[in-house]
Amino acid sequence: MRLWLQKYRPRTISEIIGNNSAVNQFVDWVSKRLKDNVKKAALLYGPPGVGKSLTVQVYAEEFGFDLIELNASDVRAREQIMRIVGTVASQPTLFGGIKRLIFLDEIDGIEPAEDKGCISAIIDIINKSSCPIVLAANDPWDPKLRPIRDLCTLIRYNKIRSPTIVKFLKEICRKEGIVVEDRALTLIAEKADGDLRSAIIDLQIFTEGRRYLRFEDVIWLPTRNRQYGVFDVLKELFWSKTALQARLAIEKSLIDYETLKLWIHENLPLIYSDFNDLVRAYDMLSKADVFFGRMNKTQNWDLLPYTLEFMTAGVILGVKKKPEFVKYQFPQKLLLISSTKNSRRIRDEILSALSEKCRISRRKALTEMLPYLKTIIEEEPSIGKQIGEWLNLNEDHLKYLGLKASKLKKINI
Amino acid sequence: MALEALWAEKYRPKKLDEMVNQKEIIERLKQFAKAKAMPHCLFAGPPGTGKTTAALCLANEIFEGELAGNFLELNASDERGINVVREDIKNFARTISIGKVSFKILVLDEADNMTSDAQQALRRTMERYSETCRFILICNYSSKIIEPIQSRTAIFRFQPLNHEDIIRYLKHICKCENINYNEDGLNAIIEVSEGDMRKAINTLQAAAAIGFVDEKSVYRVVGRAEPKEVLEMIKLAWSGKFIEARNKLRELLINYGLSGMDVLKQLHKEIMKTSSLPITEEDKIKIADVIGEVSYRVIEGVDDEIQLSYLLANIALLGSKSQR
Repeated sequence: MRLWLQKYRPRTISEIIGNNSAVNQFVDWVSKRLKDNVKKAALLYGPPGVGKSLTVQVYAEEFGFDLIELNASDVRAREQIMRIVGTVASQPTLFGGIKRLIFLDEIDGIEPAEDKGCISAIIDIINKSSCPIVLAANDPWDPKLRPIRDLCTLIRYNKIRSPTIVKFLKEICRKEGIVVEDRALTLIAEKADGDLRSAIIDLQIFTEGRRYLRFEDVIWLPTRNRQYGVFDVLKELFWSKTALQARLAIEKSLIDYETLKLWIHENLPLIYSDFNDLVRAYDMLSKADVFFGRMNKTQNWDLLPYTLEFMTAGVILGVKKKPEFVKYQFPQKLLLISSTKNSRRIRDEILSALSEKCRISRRKALTEMLPYLKTIIEEEPSIGKQIGEWLNLNEDHLKYLGLKASKLKKINI
Repeated sequence: MALEALWAEKYRPKKLDEMVNQKEIIERLKQFAKAKAMPHCLFAGPPGTGKTTAALCLANEIFEGELAGNFLELNASDERGINVVREDIKNFARTISIGKVSFKILVLDEADNMTSDAQQALRRTMERYSETCRFILICNYSSKIIEPIQSRTAIFRFQPLNHEDIIRYLKHICKCENINYNEDGLNAIIEVSEGDMRKAINTLQAAAAIGFVDEKSVYRVVGRAEPKEVLEMIKLAWSGKFIEARNKLRELLINYGLSGMDVLKQLHKEIMKTSSLPITEEDKIKIADVIGEVSYRVIEGVDDEIQLSYLLANIALLGSKSQR
C-alpha cells in the first residue's frame, strides 16, 4: 500500500499547493543567492504540513541540485551538522559543476543546553558556505534562534486555506475512484486546520478499503491537539485494526520517532496484561530498535519505513487480548535521566579519576574498582578519605561513595 | 606520611623483574629492553594478568624512565570516540622521539573494543608510522583483533596467574601493610578472583578495611561488589511483576551506570547458578537462548533498556507458565 503523501507528491515547483508567494520568494532567493547578492541563508517558517520541506526538496529535484538534508531535531544529525562545517559547506561546488543545496530542517528542535556549539556551527556553515543554505522551523521567534535569524532571509508559510485543501482532496478521490460527500471533505479539511499533510493522511485512513466516503464516516474524526498530540497518537496507534492505520497514526505526530519509541516502550506493559502479548510486542519493538541502530550505523535511511512498521503495526497486531484502556504514561526513562543528572555526573567524575589513576577504562572501573572503593570508604572512613585525596576526589564524590557526613566531620577535627 | 592509595596501583610492579608469572613473556620483553628495539606487539589475555603492567615496565626500561614525550597510553573503550583516539594516535605517532631511542611507544588498551573499521584505520597508521612509533595493543581476546593487525604484531598470550603466585604476592602486601589474615581468607580470595590479580588485591584491601581478613570478610566484600539488583530484577520478572522488574533495570542502567552488556552477563550468571528461584533446568536453557539473542540485539540496536525489557518479558512469561 502506497502512502498517498508519496503518490500525490508534487514533482515540480508549480504543482505545489498553497503558499504561492512563499514558494516564489524561495525560488527568487535561490537564483539571487547563486549570484551572491542576498543574505546567505533562507529561513522558511510556518506551521507544520504546509510545504516548507517539500518546496526545498521539489526545487532541488526539478533544478538538479544535490540536496544535503539534515533534521536538526535528531541528535545524530546534530553531530553531522558539526562535522559538515569543515567539509561540504566550504567546497566551491559552483565551479565544479555540481549544484548543491544544504537544508537543515526543524532547527527549532535544537536544545542550546544539550547541543553546545550547534547554533554556532550552523552560523559557521552559513558564513563559510559557498552553496545556498536553507533552514526550516515552526517557530522562528524562539530566542535561541536569534543569531541565526539575523543572517537569514525570512520566508513565511501560512496555513493552507480550507477550500484549497478540499479541492486537492477531491482531486485525489477522483483519481482513486472514490465517491465522496463534499461535507466529509470539508470536515477533514477543517479539522486539519491548515495542515495539508495531515488532511491527506486522514483521507487515506478513512477511505482505506472502501469506495465511498460519507459525512457520518468522518464525524468522529478527532481534532489534533498539537500540544498533547502524543496521547492521541498512542490511542490511535494502540487501537488500530490494520497495519496501514497503525503506520499512519504516527505519521501525524510531531514528535520524533525515537521519542515515540520510548512512549510505546513505556506503555506496552500497561496495555498488554497477557505476557504472551507483551513478549510478542517487545520482540517487535526490539527489532525496530535494532533497525534504528543499523540506520544510524550505515546512514541508510531507506530502512526507515520497515523500522516504523515494526514499531507500529508490529507492536499492535497479532496480539490475543485487546489492549487495556489506560491513562498513558510519560516515558519514565526521560524523567529518571533528568532527575539523576547530578549523581550520574558525580559517578562519572569518580570513574574518570579511577580510570586515570588505575589505567583502566571507565567502564571497567565501574565494575572492577568502584565497588571495592565503596566498601573501603564505608568501613574505614579515615583510610577512605586518604584514598579520596590520592584520587583527587571532593566531598561530593566521597558522599556518593558512602562516606557519612558525620564521620567526615570527625576526621576533619 | 604518604597518602594511602589503592593497593592495586600502589603494588603495581615497576620493573619487568618484579612481575609475577608470565616468565617466558617477561624474558622476551627483557631482550627487547636490552636491545632497545622491539616490534609492534599484541598482549592478549584475561583481566588482571599483567598486560598493562608489562607494557608500562617495558616502556620504562626502554626509555630508562624518560617516558615524557616518548610514551602514550590510550584506552580504546571509553566513549571519547574513536575519532579522537585516532587523531591522538596520529599526532603522537608522526613526530620523532626525544632522546636515545629511535622510536616512541604507544599503548592502546582494551583494543578489542574497537570496531573492525576503526582497526583497519589503525592498521594503516601502524604501517605508516612504524619507523617512529611502536604499538602495543592490549586486549582480552585476540580473536577480536583483525587478522592484518595480528599478522603485523608479535603476539604474547598472558595466562591466568597461578594460585601460589597470587598468594605469595598477597602475603607480601599483608606484610608491608601490617594486615591480619588467615589462610582461609587468602584461599577465599583466590577462589573468587579466578587468576585476576587486580581483583585479588582489591578484595584484599576491602576485606582489610572491614577488619580481619578471613573467609567471612572476603565473602562480605564479594557480596557487595556484585549488584543485588540483578537477582532482584529476575525475581520480580519471574513472579510476574514486569513493571517493577523494568524499574530495577532502569536503576541498573541509569543510576548504577552498567552497560546493557554487563547487565546481561550478570543476569546470565545469576540465572545459571540461582537456587533461590524455582527455575527448571529446561527454562534456564530457554532463558539462555533469549539472552543470546538479546546480546546480539544490544550490539546492533540503540536502546539497551528496550532490548533488555524484551528479555524480562520472556522471563515473566516463563515464570507465569511455571506457576500455573
